[in-house]
Amino acid sequence: MADESSMGSTSQAALLLKKQLAELNKNPVEGFSAGLIDDNDIFKWEVLIIGPADTLYEGGFFKCHLIFPKEYPLRPPKLKVITDIWHPNIDSKGDVCISILHEPGDDRWGYEKASERWLPVHTVETILVSVISMLADPNDESPANVDAAKEWRDNYPEFKKKVAKCVRKSQEDLL
Amino acid sequence: MSSESPPPAASGDNQDELILAQKEAIAQDIASNASLVGNLEPVYSLEREFSHDAVFMTKIGNLKGRYAELRRTRPDGNCFFRAVAYRYFELLLHRPDEYERIKALLPRAKAQMIELGMPTFTLEDFYDNFMDHVDRVGQAHMDAQQLFETFNEPGQSDYLVVFLRLLTSMQLQRNAEFYQNFMEGDKTVAEFCATEVEPMYNESDHIHITALTEATGISLRVIYLDRGSQTEASLHDFPDQGESAATTPLVHLLYRPGHYDVIYPVKSTSESGPATSNATVTTTAELSS
Repeated sequence: MADESSMGSTSQAALLLKKQLAELNKNPVEGFSAGLIDDNDIFKWEVLIIGPADTLYEGGFFKCHLIFPKEYPLRPPKLKVITDIWHPNIDSKGDVCISILHEPGDDRWGYEKASERWLPVHTVETILVSVISMLADPNDESPANVDAAKEWRDNYPEFKKKVAKCVRKSQEDLL
Repeated sequence: MSSESPPPAASGDNQDELILAQKEAIAQDIASNASLVGNLEPVYSLEREFSHDAVFMTKIGNLKGRYAELRRTRPDGNCFFRAVAYRYFELLLHRPDEYERIKALLPRAKAQMIELGMPTFTLEDFYDNFMDHVDRVGQAHMDAQQLFETFNEPGQSDYLVVFLRLLTSMQLQRNAEFYQNFMEGDKTVAEFCATEVEPMYNESDHIHITALTEATGISLRVIYLDRGSQTEASLHDFPDQGESAATTPLVHLLYRPGHYDVIYPVKSTSESGPATSNATVTTTAELSS
């Protein structure tokens, strides 16, 4: 903590994150809620994503950690889903792989060149809106969880069953 | 800063990961060897780098009559924007007319950016920060030395760069029909902005320069120090005024393949920053035309 407030280079990042947190608390956005993992560290957020209506994930509560680098907003945060979740674009460790969280040139997941990438103007809200739309609409061209992607394509009933299990478990975890 | 380690790779020995790691290592090496914005140096300091090269040496020799000093910027892909921003803020220290002009222009630009659908929350953050610095410099709450320090503070310096990138993107997108002619392949102007303009660390091209000078009204001369066989470094003015250029551009940049630095014409070095103290002389020729 000491280092982030005293390090000049991070003050812009810290300020922008504080402003966003205050704004999200004042005017919550539908579909998720946001707070800090540790009240003393503005760079580590805990976000609860509510499974979007009319999708397999409806009714689920997915706890995520959103970890911002010191270079935020020049560089993107990392998003990890802590709750067990079965999804083509979330790997077994919970790392969420969508193009908006990667800079142009970072092509390890084989995104199309023109797909939307990280930009300094992105906010926590724009990130989470993208994640929520990814839950509704998986992208099986760049799967982080190959097994889930295959199942989603080839054995949808089984895929559905696994997701339903995750949703149930996420509800139990919350109690 | 040195305590930071790069994030662990997400998966095993993927070739892309190795390339990314190498890119990161090169970037860190550059960062530790070059200031974001350097001190003033005499133009002839370039001769040391090119002493083995007759073409460059001739051109540098011919530059010396017109340009006195040079200020290097870090080659991190943001050099064009950082060089323009630094030199322009430096000018604002002594140019109340420019201060009034840019102060009137920027709020309109912001409104146009919002119109284009840029996220208001972050846009305002970058805008407020930029405007705040324009005010501080324009109202003499910040001197040349503080400006120099601000531009060498990474978070702050990059924040100013982001805003110029957004201005450039705005100009391109508002004139998408025209700029579409310069796109490669089937890329749209919006896609170009999202991949080549707004993201940091992406190098600038002719099109970025054209759009930024249009968006801001900041006139710019780029001196190209390249391998062409002429004896004079070629130059290009933005906006292009043709041969009959009556006005001297505000900002002068020196281009060497892949990189931009600030360069100071002989007549106006007296107001060029922390290395000099008598910061009053501005030619009226620039003001009047």
